[in-house]
Amino acid sequence: MLGEILHILAAAIISWILFVTVDIFFRLPEAGGVSGASAIARDIEAGGGALAGGTMMGNIVCSPDASAGTLLAACGVYVAGIPGGLAAAALVFIGNRICHDPGYAGTTGAVLATFVVYASTLVGFSATDFIAGMVIAILTIQGLSHTHASRLLARLWRVRQ
Amino acid sequence: MIALYIVAGVAVFAAIRVIVERNTGRKLPYANVLNFAVAGTIVLLLNHPLALVAAAAYFVGSTLEANAVASTYAGGMKR
Repeated sequence: MLGEILHILAAAIISWILFVTVDIFFRLPEAGGVSGASAIARDIEAGGGALAGGTMMGNIVCSPDASAGTLLAACGVYVAGIPGGLAAAALVFIGNRICHDPGYAGTTGAVLATFVVYASTLVGFSATDFIAGMVIAILTIQGLSHTHASRLLARLWRVRQ
Repeated sequence: MIALYIVAGVAVFAAIRVIVERNTGRKLPYANVLNFAVAGTIVLLLNHPLALVAAAAYFVGSTLEANAVASTYAGGMKR
């Protein structure tokens, strides 16, 4: 039981690094993809957060990004192995187009996560660890403190620039 | 099994924060966490390829709703 909890925490850290890296690589903190993302960013900034981090959080809300790609890829690997993960990537791609998102962060994240999750299953992890891990990872960004999360993302964005 | 409890617990936590938060712009990221947790729960409860399709359909649909709510909140389309 303790081992499974440690696996989930490790999976959360891996998922966090994966999705934040892909999102920042695809310049999500730069500009809101839709007007709603910018509105969320302004509200987070008004609450004491950083605008760039808020913009990335707004973009995560408004379209399936690498975090959604990681979650659905982990779900896909759980139900059907690598083909399931790639099917999840295709579904994320369709989701991006439906949500008026011109980018490829979600699809790229899903494809990368498919191989990361599958490789992890070969060294003792299970795909369910990554499903729970990704939910914990998104909780740390979107669900605990918008002020601190947006400042952290803005700091990482400055490093990227 | 622990994974399911964690994901369901996060869903309940996010749902409470959605209700408690007053500002619409700051409410939506909590709703996003809720959507992640519910999509994860669907697959953890039903280990079947169609569960992936159901989770993706739920997730994309709810993300589109959040997108619509946020864009309306931002002032909607300028004509």
